[in-house]
Amino acid sequence: MASKKHHVHLQIAPPETPARPAWDNRRWLVLALAVAAAGLFAASFFLPWWQFVLYAPQYPNGLTLVISLTGMGGDVHEIDLLNHYIGMKHLADAAPVERHLAGYGVAAIAVTVLAAFTVAGKKLNKLVYVPAVAFPVVFLADSLYWLVTFGHDLDPKAPLHIKAFTPQLFGNGQIGQFETFAHPAAGFWLAVAGVVLALAATLVRTKVCAHCKHAGTCSTICPLLMVLPEKKGPEAS
Amino acid sequence: MRAYPLVVTSLVATGIVAVVAVGCQNQHEANQEAAQKTSLGASSSVQDLMKARNLSEADVEAALKTYVPTGKMDEYYIFASGGQSGNVDVIGVPSMRLLKVIGVFTPESWQGWGFGGESDKILEGGNQGIHKIRWADMHHPNLSETKGDYDGQYLFVNDKANARVAVVDLKDFATKQIVPNPLAASDHGGAFVTPDTDYVIETSQYPAPLGREYAPITDYKAKYRGVAIFWKFDRAKGRIDPSKSWALELPPYTQDLADAGKLGSDGWAYINSFNTEMAVGGTMEGKPPIESGASQNDMDYLHVINWKKAEELVNAGKTKTIAGMRVLTMDVSGPEGVLTLVGEPKSPHGCDVTPDGKMVIVGGKLDTHTTLYDTAKMKDLIAQKKFEGKDDYGIPIMAFKDAIDGQVEIGLGPLHTVFDDKGGAYTSVFIESVVAKWSYTDLKKPVEKLKVHYNIGHILAAEGDTVSPDGKYVVAMNKMSMDRFLPVGPLYPQNFQLVDIAGEKMRLLADMPIANAEPHYSQMIKADKIKAEKVYKSGTNATGEIDPNRVEGGKERVVRNGNKVEVFMTAIRSHFTPDRIEVDEGDDVTIHVTSLEAAEDQTHGFTIDMYNVNVSLEPGKHENLSFKADMPGTYPMYCTEFCSALHLEMTGYFLVKPKKR
Repeated sequence: MASKKHHVHLQIAPPETPARPAWDNRRWLVLALAVAAAGLFAASFFLPWWQFVLYAPQYPNGLTLVISLTGMGGDVHEIDLLNHYIGMKHLADAAPVERHLAGYGVAAIAVTVLAAFTVAGKKLNKLVYVPAVAFPVVFLADSLYWLVTFGHDLDPKAPLHIKAFTPQLFGNGQIGQFETFAHPAAGFWLAVAGVVLALAATLVRTKVCAHCKHAGTCSTICPLLMVLPEKKGPEAS
Repeated sequence: MRAYPLVVTSLVATGIVAVVAVGCQNQHEANQEAAQKTSLGASSSVQDLMKARNLSEADVEAALKTYVPTGKMDEYYIFASGGQSGNVDVIGVPSMRLLKVIGVFTPESWQGWGFGGESDKILEGGNQGIHKIRWADMHHPNLSETKGDYDGQYLFVNDKANARVAVVDLKDFATKQIVPNPLAASDHGGAFVTPDTDYVIETSQYPAPLGREYAPITDYKAKYRGVAIFWKFDRAKGRIDPSKSWALELPPYTQDLADAGKLGSDGWAYINSFNTEMAVGGTMEGKPPIESGASQNDMDYLHVINWKKAEELVNAGKTKTIAGMRVLTMDVSGPEGVLTLVGEPKSPHGCDVTPDGKMVIVGGKLDTHTTLYDTAKMKDLIAQKKFEGKDDYGIPIMAFKDAIDGQVEIGLGPLHTVFDDKGGAYTSVFIESVVAKWSYTDLKKPVEKLKVHYNIGHILAAEGDTVSPDGKYVVAMNKMSMDRFLPVGPLYPQNFQLVDIAGEKMRLLADMPIANAEPHYSQMIKADKIKAEKVYKSGTNATGEIDPNRVEGGKERVVRNGNKVEVFMTAIRSHFTPDRIEVDEGDDVTIHVTSLEAAEDQTHGFTIDMYNVNVSLEPGKHENLSFKADMPGTYPMYCTEFCSALHLEMTGYFLVKPKKR
């Protein structure tokens, strides 16, 4: 390790510029992970996030409801039709603002993730993963909110009177003759993968910063690419 | 460093979500499997069951070959002529279960076929003369073909009694068109398609003056004629185009069955005939009845038609227009080699081209043989004008011995012949009540016979009249059932008997009573060739088009214009919108109703009591019902198909306010 570094120092690096230690290249790894996380978030925008499947004797192949960030697909018409018997609102009435803003939201999250990893300094660098983790969590919380709202705001004049309920967001449940199964879909998994990458980036970043000569003294905004090494020396890696 | 626990937590959470998701799927499958497992109840062995039900081993084998348990599907469809019911029966094979009855020529109230909706227009299209014809004697269904093989797109059927042909679209198993034959008074040799379904052939049966005008029976020879219509099929539109269709005038022999050539004999059609004696009866005047008058000659005539050449002559304008149709008359078709005759043994019936297109097989009816005509030899004889004479109408006649390949002694009353994939021919033998299996490639091979019950008429085989028969099943279509079913009064069911032909010997597998009519021909097609729609595109009417008056949800309305009332209605579980209609006595009412359903098998019906209107509203279907509110009163209207738990609540009122008198 040491001899190789020495060799590079002699042959390539100008003497007045101190060579960056090997661990310093991890700054690029942080950036790559952050870009990949942002990319996964962006990709998840185009894929379904959640899937509900409802089975009943007269629906042996199930009715499927596919949720994406911008809308719903699958047997929406049929599920709405069935829901009218219990006085549930139309699915299209769910999360209108969220669905409308989803595109901007995803763009904002992607940009924030990138920005957090590249420019956050000082105390903020401990929180760089927050926007990434928040992304799927907010989705889950919002979905739950709408399920509760829908299940509890039933038209009292509907033909069938049932007790207010919360449709299962996760796993299997039973409503009337329907067995319901709810599980995440590809988009959600991509977002989770994005979170994992962001957390990995946080780990690496914490290490990089630990080596920075500005460590502990950097300002709130400290572009990652400006991080300068050699506070503790290469042996720390 | 502090991020490590977060990563671990996140990965664990991910894993849990994945496990739950997979768990859900498995649990549903497990539930389904559990539901399917049923107990046999008493632990009876197969032997005990056989003993208790008095079943032989052969019975059990037949049962195993035909039993289709719940959840499994049949391998083939049969499209069977519904005979006098005027409708088509669709049957699954090998289970021999009735799958559907398609309303064609006859009102069919379940499908709302002919009860005030759009289908009325299709039935109206089939009227002949001044009569609303609402029954039919359906004879020969024929599936559309591409290169001589069934393509599963359309079905054509003819009505012998009223000389009509109908087109059924197999996307929705619904009739789309009925074309009345303007020339003939009855038909029989139809509906037979050419190998690419360019034409649907419909040949007359009982001669009459073309256009059916009056002519005394004494003018029979001079004025009565047979005719073969070549209906041009427009596949893109899925309709027969009468304006591009044409006809061939034929002598007043009673033309019978027909078939189109294929492969080497493509471009030719073969029609047989009886009563070349031109007997006209006269039993009240002491003359012999037609049955004996028509059976005096030892030979009748097979008509050999070069339809490709006829088409050229038609396009060249060599036709005469009769009753609006272009007719190639005998004075042109005879000399031009379009129409040629050849003798065929006494009162023949079946006329079937072999899968390789090389032979035409004619069943003798009053002769014990089947005769094989060589299509290539006949082509040469006609090209070389090698004839033995002419008939009274100047039509050249080929010598029987020059035209045939051979004859096979079959038995008493051979009728129709179908084929397997190994050169096997299966002929229905009416008087003997057997299916006779023989080889059309090796005429010396012994004939094998299987008893059927009773009086077999037509016979069908799996894809058995195409260029590539499947060689799996034959169905004997028996005219009598006698002792086969529980007694149901003097009118007995017909009997379809499924025969296994896959093995060395024919094996009878199952009987199916046909309870609605006497079917004639039927065809069997591999199930995967049929691409049936599950629901209609929203607003589709009976013609298959999106109706201009289709109604969207939320746009329901009632529009009154003088005494014309138009109601734009929707139907969806479990209500009609509007559910109250009030009109004045004498108003002309039109109800445009669209089913907003999009789910499989969610059908509604719509009727107004006492007004004789009823339509079926399959998912997405649109109907227009027009009638006069000529009966004041209070009439419930309701959904006639048990659509949902609140089906009985799917109702409303049609109120007709009486005029002030």
